Amino acid sequence: MSESGGPDVTQELRLPWDDDPEDLYEHAPCGYLTTLPDGTIVRVNETFLTWTGYARTDLIGHKRFRDLLTPGDQIYHETHYAPLLTMQGEVHEIALDVVRADRSRVPTLVNSVLERSATGTPRIIRTMVFNATERRGYERELLSARRAAESSEQRVRVLQQIVADLAAAPTEAEVAEAVIRAPEPAFQATSSSIFLVDPERDELIAVSSTDPTTGNWDDMPRSSTRAVAEVARRGDLHVIATVAEAEAHFPDLAESMRRSERKTVVLLPLTTGPADDHGAASVLGVLAFSFREERVLTDGELRVIRLLGQQAGQALDRARLYDEGRRREDRSSFLARTTRALDEQHRLLQRARRLVERVVPEIADWALVRLQVGPAGLVEYHGGPAPDPELLDARVAEAVETCAPVYADDGDGLGCTVLPLTVRGRVIGTLALRMAPDRRGAGADRLFLVDLADRAALALENARLYEQERAIARTLQRSLLAADVPGADSRFALETHYQAAAQDLEVGGDWYDAFLITANKLAVVVGDVVGRGIDAATTMGQLRSAIRALATAENGPARLLEGLDRFCERVESARMATVVYAEIDLVGNELAYATAGHLPLLLHEPAGSPQYLMRARSAPLGSRAGDRRRVEDRIRLTGGSRLLLYTDGLIERRGRGLDRGFEILAREFSRMRDAPLKGLTAGLADILVGRDHSDDVCMLCVSLGTDERLERSIGADPVQISLLRADMRGWMAGHGVDPDCLNAVLLACSEAVANAIEHGYQDDPFGMVDVSATISADAVEIRVSDHGTWRGPGADLARGRGLQLIYESMDDVSFDQDQGTTVTMRRHRNAP
Amino acid sequence: MTDQWVSFSRRGAAELVHLKGEIDLANANDIGRAIVARTTGADAVLIDLTAVSFLDSAGVRLLDFIVGDLDDRRKPVRLVVGERGAARMTLQLCSFRDDLLATDLDRAAAELDR
Repeated sequence: MSESGGPDVTQELRLPWDDDPEDLYEHAPCGYLTTLPDGTIVRVNETFLTWTGYARTDLIGHKRFRDLLTPGDQIYHETHYAPLLTMQGEVHEIALDVVRADRSRVPTLVNSVLERSATGTPRIIRTMVFNATERRGYERELLSARRAAESSEQRVRVLQQIVADLAAAPTEAEVAEAVIRAPEPAFQATSSSIFLVDPERDELIAVSSTDPTTGNWDDMPRSSTRAVAEVARRGDLHVIATVAEAEAHFPDLAESMRRSERKTVVLLPLTTGPADDHGAASVLGVLAFSFREERVLTDGELRVIRLLGQQAGQALDRARLYDEGRRREDRSSFLARTTRALDEQHRLLQRARRLVERVVPEIADWALVRLQVGPAGLVEYHGGPAPDPELLDARVAEAVETCAPVYADDGDGLGCTVLPLTVRGRVIGTLALRMAPDRRGAGADRLFLVDLADRAALALENARLYEQERAIARTLQRSLLAADVPGADSRFALETHYQAAAQDLEVGGDWYDAFLITANKLAVVVGDVVGRGIDAATTMGQLRSAIRALATAENGPARLLEGLDRFCERVESARMATVVYAEIDLVGNELAYATAGHLPLLLHEPAGSPQYLMRARSAPLGSRAGDRRRVEDRIRLTGGSRLLLYTDGLIERRGRGLDRGFEILAREFSRMRDAPLKGLTAGLADILVGRDHSDDVCMLCVSLGTDERLERSIGADPVQISLLRADMRGWMAGHGVDPDCLNAVLLACSEAVANAIEHGYQDDPFGMVDVSATISADAVEIRVSDHGTWRGPGADLARGRGLQLIYESMDDVSFDQDQGTTVTMRRHRNAP
Repeated sequence: MTDQWVSFSRRGAAELVHLKGEIDLANANDIGRAIVARTTGADAVLIDLTAVSFLDSAGVRLLDFIVGDLDDRRKPVRLVVGERGAARMTLQLCSFRDDLLATDLDRAAAELDR
């Protein structure tokens, strides 16, 4: 060994192997190595040489033990083996890989013992090497078995979580979200996507993906040749292990695998029905997941994947049923709410408006209802934007012509469903709806829309009928009320007022009437029929005619009411109507009156305050429980008296006692004593009931005996001038003033009053203008007075024109300015 | 608001203004605004006053303004009034030019078209 250059220690060695039989050493079932403390091999047995394929001469004196190890084990040798050996003197069962002569490896277990000299210096290392090839294989199996168990356990945990999520997912969308989360943790997939079957449209809908950049992310018909559709049709799990495999069977998939750099794809149908019979199972969707590396799936994994498909399928099925149930519930609730909401509106326009406002946005984003009513029809719409009008018109025409719904189609460029509104087999209009694509087309939805259209049609038709009846009733009532009341009689003047309730109520049964029984006897009447609507209007017309027929020169009010009681025996709807009836003798100035359950007449004579005529009262017409002994009262009237007949709507007001109502009416009637008769009844209604009144108001005021003198007091408001003119016109006409004179006087009087308002009360909106007029056989004289301060008549050119007109139209004009201004004007009458 | 007193139509080249009822201090301004809105830019104007039952100085002022405006623009205008009646009386009292007044709508329209 001296040639090796190491210290020559062999001479001192006792040869230990001489003690052991050579053969045993050479062919022991383990390798023996003897090395110097620096690792140089000095002896090796045949077994080791056989295992490693080295020749003895390759090793002895040429190699250290660690030279035979793999690079990793060489480091281990230096860091662990050698230090341990030096410190402990021995090491046991160190696993090291020995590199054979052919560079392959032999897994070994190594025991070494360090022998020291008497002085304690390391002398030799004896190493025993066991072949551990089989043991390592066994260990590896154990390890991989443990890893498999672990990953299987993780898979099971993931799947358990997924199954729990699926059970809790109430909608298809949530099921899809739960399923799509499975492949990555369970199988280490790179990404996954889910497609659901839409049976109504016969399509596969791409619902969700963890990486939408992969694959062809469009919906597809179920008949598509694409891999997903193919798998959905076949209903069985497909593992496309390589791009080449995809190339052979599914070119579209191969293309998207290449694009998204995927090596393996799993297409899993989500099925419900018997697990072992693919033909009987129905496919509700497809889960696709893919791997960036080529991935071999074990049988266990495939089993779990199939299980996932079934679990997900069942969850989808359940969610679909649940969705369907809830949709049905939503729909019926919507229909019920809509019907109720429509019922709240009586009028046609409001009901149509309500319909489109209910429909948008709950079921559509735009809605239009068209009704074939009236010459122009009725159109109400809501939402937006509006679709192409021409396409819509064409579709509406189609729906009307075929009397059947025309449903929206994806490719029609309109996107609107048009439903005919049909009542008793007649199309009364159409309802057009534009819905988002996912809200249309399904069979159940179609049934729902038809149901909606039916209900809407019925509600709109009812409103139309209501409207029609209301219009007829109103026309009837108006025609009766508008019938000519006598006028142009100098002995009396009449003013009437009818005001319908502010709320959209049906026509009421209030009415007034005035007519001459004889040349010298005026009858006035105000009444109130029970009920509303067309029946009330009809009854009112009948009672009105009955009164006109029963009013004779001989009868008088009491006999007339008895006649009406008999009339009620035949006309049941007239029963319990109330009436106040008065006859005025225009020659003797005598008033005869009777009331049947009605509010008392209000009389205001020129001197004194207004009084309610409380006598001659009896029960409503045809009353069974009331006192039907009809009585009448007679009083003499002085010229210039005013008499007011009215219905309860005038004084009854919520929150105000009836007594108070009577009080206010009397006070206001008195206050307006000098106001022009024209506009007086409307003015009273304004003050007593205002705009917000819940009942009809009907009034008739008669002013008796035209005086030789007319006295009026009006507010400083230009609108009042025309009311004054109306009074004055009637007054002059009653006295037979010729038209030229009449027109001239009206013009001059208007200009004088306008002057008083514009100049006298320029700064005083509450000023009053007094007008008095007298008439004689040859002239009319007018006096207009104000208490304001004039700025001088020439101040304004326009009013200068007014003065000019006064001078031009009258024969004598004089101004008196003393505490205000008084204009006195006189015009001669032309010979008749 | 003024529909009860004023309405409009076309008669040949002329804008035809129909007035009716009583025109006085209370409504003349509103009616004037409604008419001017239609006659500004008209090539000819016919104002039919035959249905007017009363016309006061405020009404006269309104007509004076419209006629003045059309005269300034050299556009023809005619006021059609009845043989008798309140409107004719007031206009005559105010000495409106005879060439403005006409009694027959058709003839007045024909004159404007000439």
